[in-house]
Amino acid sequence: MRYGDFTPFDIVLLLQGLGVSLALFVSTALIGLVIGTAWAVIRFYRVPVLMQIVTFVAELLKNSPVLVQLFLVFFGLPAFFKINVTPTEAAVITLSGNSAAFIYVIAVSAIESVGRDQIEAARVFGLTRWQTLRWVIAPQAAAFAIGPLTGLLVNQLQVTSLISVIGVMDLTKVGNILNLRTLKPFLVWTAVGALYYLTAKLVAYAGGRFEKRLRAHTAWRGL
Amino acid sequence: MISVSGLRKSFGAATVLDGVDLEIRQGEVVSVLGSSGSGKSTLIRCINGLEKIDAGKITVDGFDVSKPRELSEARKRSGTVFQLFNLYPHMTAVQNIALAPVEVLKVPRKQAETEARELLQSVGLTDRADAYPSQLSGGQRQRVGICRALAMKPSYLLLDEVTSALDPEMTSEVLSILAKLAKGGTTMVFVTHEIEFARSISSRIAFLDKGTLIADLPTEEFFSDKGMALPRVAQFLSKMRKD
Repeated sequence: MRYGDFTPFDIVLLLQGLGVSLALFVSTALIGLVIGTAWAVIRFYRVPVLMQIVTFVAELLKNSPVLVQLFLVFFGLPAFFKINVTPTEAAVITLSGNSAAFIYVIAVSAIESVGRDQIEAARVFGLTRWQTLRWVIAPQAAAFAIGPLTGLLVNQLQVTSLISVIGVMDLTKVGNILNLRTLKPFLVWTAVGALYYLTAKLVAYAGGRFEKRLRAHTAWRGL
Repeated sequence: MISVSGLRKSFGAATVLDGVDLEIRQGEVVSVLGSSGSGKSTLIRCINGLEKIDAGKITVDGFDVSKPRELSEARKRSGTVFQLFNLYPHMTAVQNIALAPVEVLKVPRKQAETEARELLQSVGLTDRADAYPSQLSGGQRQRVGICRALAMKPSYLLLDEVTSALDPEMTSEVLSILAKLAKGGTTMVFVTHEIEFARSISSRIAFLDKGTLIADLPTEEFFSDKGMALPRVAQFLSKMRKD
């Protein structure tokens, strides 16, 4: 067997890479969900100062390339703040922040798409702002948000591939290594692409299932 | 007692209510009549604090609705039924009704749901208790809307054109329930276009025209010489009766 041949171990390597990509995707999506939702709640309450900060940060994150953000965190934090970050930490920070910014936008528009009539019906019976958000707005906003959110998550899964440039051993990095060793780019990248594809399909499927459940009674709203 | 005095409200340049004085005592059924755009709905929305008032004062059992702290007390005393029902689409009929009692009055959930089912039974919806609003007809939705308001055991029921979005058959479903409530002594402020029905259940009629209350009379006086002496009322009634 020559050095450049494929070995059965390469499959393990690919799956390991997929595992790293998935772990990063899931963790940053969850962190992004928590932060993005919290930002949306800050906006819902129109908290002065905090609201302006949130809007500003979200705008920055939305309108600059993830790769640039990644470099800023990975090279910038040690240089300017003397904070050392490992490639994985830099990846988690960047992707979480980026997801949070987009989830914030989705959450805000979902909250705003719940009708005024619903808020009035809750307020008029004496529910507080928080109770109205918790029991009346959030469940309906979730049903609105789940579609765009699934789309975003499928995209964020692909975006994780960028972190390979700072040396995180994710699926793309593994693909890079295999490609350099075997010099069979078409085979390697097809396999890598297929793995991303299947995972993305899985995310979309799960999102679709969840959406159906959330929308069971709100899809057809009648009058 | 609901007391409205010197109430003014405008939206931008349009003055909707221009100095309204009205008192509703416990046990009264007051119908508010007037053509579309006369400010009837706005009056209700000012009483339950959904609109900020520009001038004047509104109190519900002495609680001033323009003071945030007193508004929540005022709201506990009045229940609103909306023209377009405004039910929560993601909750069943029972959940719609039990939400405010559980969250605001801190009634235990089990008890609140039992009471919700009893209310639904009283409006003939026993078997629709676990249906979602999208599975109910308009008349059924409005009956749930009425139960939702009653569940808070309000001293006053504010009804904002509650049958305007319903066909005649569904309207009569809802009106028969309101008639029963009126007979039972529920205090109501009833904004409506159903003149004949208003006449049959009201103790008093208030007539709004271009934001001012031009008549506030006991029902029978309103529909006899005293009301007819007012040209605007006579014109309104004759038009409505022709339809």
